[in-house]
Amino acid sequence: MAAQSFERSIDSVASLYRFSEDIMSASAIDESVRFPVHLAMEELFVNLVHYNPGARRDIMVDVEAAGGKVTVTITDQDAAEFDVTKQRPVDTGASLSERKPGGLGLHLIQHMVDTLEYDYRDGRSKIRFSKEPETTDV
Amino acid sequence: MFEIDYAESGEVICSGRLDAAQSAKAEAFLGRLDASHTLDFERLEYISSAGLAILLKTQKRLSGSGAAIKIINVNKHIYDIFRYSGFNAIFEIETL
Repeated sequence: MAAQSFERSIDSVASLYRFSEDIMSASAIDESVRFPVHLAMEELFVNLVHYNPGARRDIMVDVEAAGGKVTVTITDQDAAEFDVTKQRPVDTGASLSERKPGGLGLHLIQHMVDTLEYDYRDGRSKIRFSKEPETTDV
Repeated sequence: MFEIDYAESGEVICSGRLDAAQSAKAEAFLGRLDASHTLDFERLEYISSAGLAILLKTQKRLSGSGAAIKIINVNKHIYDIFRYSGFNAIFEIETL
């Protein structure tokens, strides 16, 4: 497992990518796992930055890659409560005129990771998700 | 890193990673389009919801004048995101 803290800024997205990509590459994690992991990390990190603009403390990210599986834990000691596991319906069948930009991040995560857990207590949020390679039925 | 520019053919070439930190660059470019265009995603590796929002915003604006964006050479992972987002119904998309 490797952990690193990141400044709570949208500009941290690039270093967050490099950090997790280095770990997953070293563990020969399949691209079908890496892509959704990068997506979920970015969406969750950006949510923490956007929805709590008054916070100052860095955000801690732990990445564990083993046996083809990746588990990520994002800990924010300066968080507002926001349950990322709660369903937030998006009408993906709406017409172009009815669609509104935004709101897709959590919808995508909930489709693309295998597990997603949220814990909030005393101003600290801990989000954990995991992703394994897709199995092919024979 | 994300890059966006015109090819000699007139298509718009997107490359790299269109994440939240790069979406302003995409919005500045796509916000200037005033007619139908094809976006070539062959060298685009990644897109997040920030990039999707820019694409949707552009498509909505262009539709007001009967124009539209078409997206070609979309990789499997990005196509999955389009599918989960319902974008395959509001954009003409060709996969790699």
